[in-house]
Amino acid sequence: MTDPSAPIALTAHLALVSSISFGGFPTVLPDVRNFVVGTHGWMTDQEFANIFAMAQSIPGPNMILMMSLVGWKVWGFPGAVASAFATFGPPCTMYFAAYRLWDRFRNAPWQRIVRLGLVPVIMGLVIASGTVMARAADTSWRAVAVTSAAAAITLATRLSPLWMLFAGAALGGLGLL
Amino acid sequence: MTEIAQRQDLQPAVPLAALFTAFLAVSLCGAGGGGGIVWARRIAVEKRHWISDREFADIVSLCQFMPGPNIVGIAVCIGAKLRGAIGTFAALCGFLVIPWAIGLSLGLLCLEYAHLPVLGNILRGIAATAAGLLIATGIRLLLPHRRRPAALLFAALAFVLITFARLPLLAVLFGLAPLSIAIAVVEAAKAR
Repeated sequence: MTDPSAPIALTAHLALVSSISFGGFPTVLPDVRNFVVGTHGWMTDQEFANIFAMAQSIPGPNMILMMSLVGWKVWGFPGAVASAFATFGPPCTMYFAAYRLWDRFRNAPWQRIVRLGLVPVIMGLVIASGTVMARAADTSWRAVAVTSAAAAITLATRLSPLWMLFAGAALGGLGLL
Repeated sequence: MTEIAQRQDLQPAVPLAALFTAFLAVSLCGAGGGGGIVWARRIAVEKRHWISDREFADIVSLCQFMPGPNIVGIAVCIGAKLRGAIGTFAALCGFLVIPWAIGLSLGLLCLEYAHLPVLGNILRGIAATAAGLLIATGIRLLLPHRRRPAALLFAALAFVLITFARLPLLAVLFGLAPLSIAIAVVEAAKAR
């Protein structure tokens, strides 16, 4: 945290991973965790899990928010702003450029094939992200049960995620996890 | 650009302020993982009739195989479709500025008190739930591919290499994606 190059290293790393975060930012969460907690030791596993929980329970652009909170830990307000821009800047530039090209190749067969190949890999990465976050958060068998229940309810019903987050918060607040 | 011009002949241009407020609403309503797509469709397709369901599906697919937070990509694309670069800017500002300021303040406030046992417990409960939501979202988006054995194999490989082998994301992504796409190409060639 005292190292002056820390904010630059974090911003550069976030800009890099956001450029390759196929399938959304959750796919790169394990990588960001390794960089922030493992490589640089800017925060503990528990702090990282707390920030993840915060970002998930607040309406709005969760992942940009989460990276901003990480940036805040490293470099205060400028770090939060820099992390936000690093997280959405490169992908937004690509979205805009890609959308201009999209109509031109609307019916090209390669688009369907690329999607067919890419989507399963990406979903494997998303599920892995959830598991990695669960490993940090689930310190008891009851917490594992909550994670499993949330996954099962999401798959089986159309219940709003908000209710499940409330329930999880209540169970945790009562000291049951 | 010609398409945007044609659209504007048919109907008056969507005001930039409307783009701003629509994506502000999408951002604030779509709490938690995956909710954003639901609200973007409800507002842009059902309520405002800005784009058709087909166009929306196109945009979601496009964003799906691009890097970055997909739902932000939806704001970028719908903004670009309706008003070009300035539309993208308006939609992005609506989506990001106010929710970001609210979220950051709330987040910092809560993290400030994260050492309190009760708040720590609450956050632990939310973290456990949120991890489950993320896992379920991945599974749900994988479901349309469940009849392709190659798809399940590559999803399982990606999962195992990250979770258990703890390989870096870049290695897994650039190792598996070309292979997976190559197999999809072979399958498509056989099907023809």
